[in-house]
Amino acid sequence: MKKFQIVALVAIIAAIAILFSASKDVSEYATFEMAADGKRVKITGEMAKNKAMEYRPDIDPNIFKFFLKDSEGKEKQVVLAKAKPMDIERAESIVLTGSLKNDVFYADEILTKCPSKYKDEELSLKEI
Amino acid sequence: MNEIQYIGEHLWVGQIGHFAIVLAFVASILSAIAYVVNAKRTDYANNWRSIGRAGYIIHGVSIFTIISILFYSMYNKYYEYAYVYQHVSDDLPLKYTLSAFWEGQEGSFLLWMFWHIVLGWFIIYRGTKWESPVMAIFAMSEIFLSSMILGVHIEIGDWMTKIGSNPLLLLRETMQEAPIFNNADYLTLISGSGLNPLLQNYWMTIHPPVTFLGFASTIVPFAFAIAGLWTRQYKKWLAAALPWALFSAGILGTGILMGSVWAYEALSFGGYWSWDPVENAVLVPWIMLIAGLHTHLIARATGYSIKATIFFYGTAFPLIVYSTFLTRSGILGDTSAHAFTEMGLEKQLVAFFVFFFAVGLGALAYHSKNIPSKEKEESIYSREFWMFIGSLVLLFSAVLIGVPTSLPVYNTIVSYFDESFVGKVIQDVVPFYNKFQIWIAVFIAILSGVAILLRYNEKNFEKRSTFLLKHLGGSIALSVIFTGLLTLWFSLYSWQFYLLALTSFFVMFSNLDYIISVIKGKIKLASSAIAHFGFGMMIIGILGSGLNKETISTNPFLFKDMFENEEDLRNYVQLIKGKPLFAQGYWMTYESDTLIGRNRYYDVEFRKVDENQNELERFKLRPSSVYSNDFKTQNVFNPDTKHYWTKDIFSCIVGLAPTRQDADVAKQFEDTLVWEQHMVTIGDTLRTENFNWYVVNEISYSPEHKEYKPKENDFGVEAKITAGNYKFGSKFEMKTALGLQGALLYKYPAGEEDMGARVRLSDSFIEEIFSSEDQLDYEEIELTSLGNFIFQDTEVTLTGFNKEPANRNYEPEEGDIAVGAQMTLVNNGKVYPAEPIYIIRGASPMGVKAYVPELGIHIRFTNIDPSTQKFKFQIAKDKRQKNLTVPLEITENVPRTDYLILQAQIFPGINLLWFGCMLMMLGLFMAMVLRIKENKKRGN
Repeated sequence: MKKFQIVALVAIIAAIAILFSASKDVSEYATFEMAADGKRVKITGEMAKNKAMEYRPDIDPNIFKFFLKDSEGKEKQVVLAKAKPMDIERAESIVLTGSLKNDVFYADEILTKCPSKYKDEELSLKEI
Repeated sequence: MNEIQYIGEHLWVGQIGHFAIVLAFVASILSAIAYVVNAKRTDYANNWRSIGRAGYIIHGVSIFTIISILFYSMYNKYYEYAYVYQHVSDDLPLKYTLSAFWEGQEGSFLLWMFWHIVLGWFIIYRGTKWESPVMAIFAMSEIFLSSMILGVHIEIGDWMTKIGSNPLLLLRETMQEAPIFNNADYLTLISGSGLNPLLQNYWMTIHPPVTFLGFASTIVPFAFAIAGLWTRQYKKWLAAALPWALFSAGILGTGILMGSVWAYEALSFGGYWSWDPVENAVLVPWIMLIAGLHTHLIARATGYSIKATIFFYGTAFPLIVYSTFLTRSGILGDTSAHAFTEMGLEKQLVAFFVFFFAVGLGALAYHSKNIPSKEKEESIYSREFWMFIGSLVLLFSAVLIGVPTSLPVYNTIVSYFDESFVGKVIQDVVPFYNKFQIWIAVFIAILSGVAILLRYNEKNFEKRSTFLLKHLGGSIALSVIFTGLLTLWFSLYSWQFYLLALTSFFVMFSNLDYIISVIKGKIKLASSAIAHFGFGMMIIGILGSGLNKETISTNPFLFKDMFENEEDLRNYVQLIKGKPLFAQGYWMTYESDTLIGRNRYYDVEFRKVDENQNELERFKLRPSSVYSNDFKTQNVFNPDTKHYWTKDIFSCIVGLAPTRQDADVAKQFEDTLVWEQHMVTIGDTLRTENFNWYVVNEISYSPEHKEYKPKENDFGVEAKITAGNYKFGSKFEMKTALGLQGALLYKYPAGEEDMGARVRLSDSFIEEIFSSEDQLDYEEIELTSLGNFIFQDTEVTLTGFNKEPANRNYEPEEGDIAVGAQMTLVNNGKVYPAEPIYIIRGASPMGVKAYVPELGIHIRFTNIDPSTQKFKFQIAKDKRQKNLTVPLEITENVPRTDYLILQAQIFPGINLLWFGCMLMMLGLFMAMVLRIKENKKRGN
């Protein structure tokens, strides 16, 4: 066996080992029920629009509170450590990273998916 | 139903366009076939080549035609075309037409093809023996790319599929059911939806062309590698391909770098790299190209690792296609902040990358046995050995970025078979990637620091070893010293980062040493050393700007014990207009805002002070917001950054008051306000439960409210108010007005953000002070000469007549005979002028009355009797109370709107990052120039 083949083999083994070890950083999209143990999870859902959201920059501009309805339909309060994201009312889906404590989901990451602008256009054309 | 004859459409554009699209597609097939047939011929300059060329030229001309007419339609705003309607608007500045052109998927495919054509034509122009096999690959890729804009529906029984999306479809063809198209004149009703305000930025003009040139250029090394296999000239292609590979790596790298600068300078991301799938997807093929370049150099110098080079180039281009599949198919879904949404081209994109992976790897496997490889092993002391290891490390890096980025693809595949499957996702993306890439960077730094001093085909290492030990030793010693010095500038926190800093300095010094002591300053030969030096510099820059990023806009007293990493999360402060806020050694003041074009710039002053509050520095940043095309919302923000040699101070708005951000919200909010009416006597103090007080000082009849514009026939009244708050001891002056124009009453409220109060006059106030004509009891007055009379407590004097009366309520007409009676009214020692007018227009007499609002007196000039020299007047007074009470409407507890939410951060050493990256690109381009010259000399 050539030297570099040995190196390549080692590299491949290392890559596989690392990817395997990395799999612990990978998890499923959770629901509130799965988050009950307080572990850090990623949760998808949509904003519960019937419940009030609250952003009071005069008190704390780093906190935005709202209710999220998870994929199973459960609604819980979310405390997000960020300013109120633009257009969150329009978001089709929301992905939060954080953990559940005392029935409140504390999130420090958010990703919102907004409907594409073309859908708006179609609507506006249909209204004319 | 009758066909509607639509008005104003430019159908010729679509007719030319459809023809050009089909022609482009057919010509690329023709070209591909001819070039494939000719690929292996040794008599390469023949008719097949001519057909291939003709096909590719026709294809190119067709694509240029499509680009031209589409651009022309966008420039002229032919909204009958869906693509035009979707991407430009009447209010879009013309300079963004290019940006709008490639905002959509079809436009960006056209841009990609544009570069393939330019590069292909250049290769045809050169006309080397490589032309046929290389152009065969080009033409094949153009078949796939032009199919993306084909827009053909294929139906076989129930099965239907769409191939491509035609950019020249009419709007009414894409949305047939919309009722607007029942109107033949629909074009007058629409005005385009325009370019996303976020993209109305010069970066959107320059970044996509560079990036797509980068994308397009990766096909050249790919095509040469395949050409080498195809023609069984396994080694000869290396020389011809090298400048191209360097060009491709340089341009693609520049594209990635520009994207990063754009994100940092002009978008509100607050950073330059976030390991977003869209970024990763393009980084992976670039790393593969860099790995390929290194094995390519080995192959050129020693004959080793030809297969590896083919492997790297053979995957880089398909990976580019794969990256466009990731970003354009919608498959990234919830994992990316900025991917395109799906548009039905997924299957075509899959076919595209699968085909070229198959071509690249299949050809390599097929020819593998024939590719010459050296029997003898590389010496462990040779440069090629360690360079090769370096390429493996790069491959390793690419795998560790590419595989996790492809997780959504895995999810999609698995859930295709198992519907109950819940997608997997990376928990915390940034630390996840950083964790591995730190080690990649350490290895790369060590390898490129050592390998640069080694020699190819080393046979005499004994002699070399002392030189090597001395020089490497020197570099290591300097690195240790500099790492120590670096910690004086910023923190390194853990041993991993110390090691990273140390190895980064090592690669810098070692390559500098190479330039000085090996090539003796011959800058022509220094390209690789410059690039590696830049790499080390870039890492130091990342350690500064990433690891040591500091937030200015933080408040340590907020949210306690809610989050584990609280300190890192407090990133925003609220700045109230005119009120300085202190944080992290800076006084920040939101001073004012200015609207320029569609951007509103917010002037924020920063004042840096020491512990004793002595001012160290003062500067202004102007982060801005961008209004939507209809000016209703301002939801998009652009940062502003102050650059120093050693750091950047970055600022960005992350929010404004909801009522300022959105006109609809503001309107809804206005409707919810509850106004309470108070009757206030002038001079008395009104107190409210919120510790506010109000005094109406006087009533004025010439309003000064800044929104009040005096017009003809109107009547305006204004209350001048002093108000304040007991608790805060504040005091403010306010003016609120009412304006009566004909039957319309306008209100001009006043407000004070600090009191949370708004004040306005009640409608009833007008009735209280101003009586309409039918309520007035006129008294007849007859005068025979100039003179005076007393009306109630006012002395009225007729002082003269005016043949050319000027009164803003009187509009002279041809043939009018008009006489103004000049009068003065004296009341309480104050003098008021008045000039009622008597007019004979045609045969009938008429008049324009004079009104003195302060006294409430109306005077009409009703008759002149020429025979008796009598002048008749009518005079009346408004039915006002003696002591006027002012009905004041007040609403309190109004949330303030004069603030912004600001994020301000310091990025230390960020210039090292940018300079480092630029040096890497410079090294690549220098090497390209060197290799072009070398090829010319050898007549390749």
